[in-house]
Amino acid sequence: MSEIYGIIASFKDTPDLYHAAEKVRDAGFKNWDTYSSFPVHGMPEAQGQPRSKVPVFTFLGGVTGFTIGTLMVWYMNAFDYPLIVGGMPFFSPVFPFPIMYELTILLAAFGTLGGMFITNLLPQHYNPLFNSSKFLEVSGDRLCIAIEARDSQFDRDQTRAFLESIGGFDIEEVEA
Amino acid sequence: MDNQEDIKKINSVGLFALIIGAIGVSVAGFGFYQGLTSEDARPLLSWLIGIAFWLSIALGVLFLTQIWYVFHARWPTIIRRQCEHCFSALPWLFLLFLPLLLIPFVSDNPGILWKWMDGTNLLPGGHELVQDDPLYNWKAAYLNPTFFAIRAFLYFGVFIALAYFLKKWSFDTDQTGSVENIHKARRLSSVGLFLLATASTLAAIDWFKSLEYHWFSTMYGVWFFAGCMRAALSALLIYCVILSTKGYLKGVFNQAHRYDLGCMMLAFTIFWAYISFSQYFLIYNANIPEETFWYNIREHNGDGVHNSWWIISMLLIFGHFLIPFLLLLWYKTKVVIWKSIGVAVWILLFHIIDLYWNIIPGKVVDLDASNGYYIRQFSVEVFDIAAIVGIGGICIWAVCSSMLKAEPIPIKDPNILKSLNHSE
Repeated sequence: MSEIYGIIASFKDTPDLYHAAEKVRDAGFKNWDTYSSFPVHGMPEAQGQPRSKVPVFTFLGGVTGFTIGTLMVWYMNAFDYPLIVGGMPFFSPVFPFPIMYELTILLAAFGTLGGMFITNLLPQHYNPLFNSSKFLEVSGDRLCIAIEARDSQFDRDQTRAFLESIGGFDIEEVEA
Repeated sequence: MDNQEDIKKINSVGLFALIIGAIGVSVAGFGFYQGLTSEDARPLLSWLIGIAFWLSIALGVLFLTQIWYVFHARWPTIIRRQCEHCFSALPWLFLLFLPLLLIPFVSDNPGILWKWMDGTNLLPGGHELVQDDPLYNWKAAYLNPTFFAIRAFLYFGVFIALAYFLKKWSFDTDQTGSVENIHKARRLSSVGLFLLATASTLAAIDWFKSLEYHWFSTMYGVWFFAGCMRAALSALLIYCVILSTKGYLKGVFNQAHRYDLGCMMLAFTIFWAYISFSQYFLIYNANIPEETFWYNIREHNGDGVHNSWWIISMLLIFGHFLIPFLLLLWYKTKVVIWKSIGVAVWILLFHIIDLYWNIIPGKVVDLDASNGYYIRQFSVEVFDIAAIVGIGGICIWAVCSSMLKAEPIPIKDPNILKSLNHSE
């Protein structure tokens, strides 16, 4: 038999999917995910996902923007070409604040966008799950859980039996 | 309210607050009297700060309630009831404000607090009288004691009327379950927000800004609004957490509600900084003496040496903005109870300092000083604490008495289920 990507199982309705997810989480699997065509409230907790790391990227972006803004104004107005404007000092934290602030916002927004792409592993044009005809129905009315073969607990027969025991049907192996 | 145990607890807290309030108000009132007789404005400013602090919370929750109605926000339905209890402080604040309003009409020294109320007051520097001051004469059509008093009645009229109807309709829904009440409240709120914004802006200009009537600033009303919202959100969070840990809102006021209040606290922390900085920034850039003097007296004395307000200004930048801002960015700060309460208490304390910074400094005529005046410096007086604690006691007592008159949450509100099941 060829290499497989994982095993996909379908579930009857959203509560089923939710409780199945809790069981997969409690069984200790790490590389797996739930798939539905709509967001399910509380699913991150049921899957045991930690909070998103995107705010860290936002914060780093903001700090970078603030620093660049400050250094830019200092370099231009006080270092490279000192210029007297309206009797104000060459550099002060007051008058360039709009620039510092705007760059903070801009780079924080870039940080958020970039962080979202990085943590979501985007862009990703291909996923072996597309090989499964069941998975393609997820954009319709199918609810699925797929456990990946790279998970340390993965075992072809046992994982299949496990998915069956938690209420999964239409269980099939997905080619890599 | 049927739970006998809760009724007993609320009654005893109310009674305790009333006693503390009566003592505090008596002490502050004694200071008020002494200030009038000894011609010292400082104890009157203590009274004004006490009013300003608690009024800002009451107006903030009034803003919040109406904003929630207008946006048809469903998650805060259980919090809205606690806001409605806070409304009951407004009539008492009006009563406590009356002594200040009566000064120009009954006192021998009508211009002791608001200098422009007495035309024979010397201007700082001691060369001219208020009545010969062109800047005053231009503003006299607006700034005169009679119109000032009429306006104060109008402002409180708006505050109390909005609070009365919003509360009445909401309490009535508990009995009848009538959805019409919610529609009425929503219609009133869409008009009420304009009325309240106008009244609170002009009130801030009248009561706080006109202490230095030479000054110009178009940001002042927004600054007061920002302060109101920050104080109200922090006070509401503390209030609701106390209620939920004491059993009254246990299992009702949950983490998601705390998280959302925390998010609004973060938003209004940024908003306050934005407004306060913009006010400074515009005046700094324009660099016109009529405007810059207001910041100058908050930075240095006439001789250019930093005075006590400089350090307070720095405290406001870092303590009222940067520290709460950085703390509130963290998710944990918003959901871990002791952390969010810590930030809320911190914000309330700095809100008081912000009020000090806006209300206390001023040029006081002193003909012995080299330039004819001195700048009133930062100090925490006994009467400040008495006024803040005392007026607070009266307000908390009013809130407790209101709590006895209604269900803990609006049980028949059509949105109550959305609010109870609110999740992040």
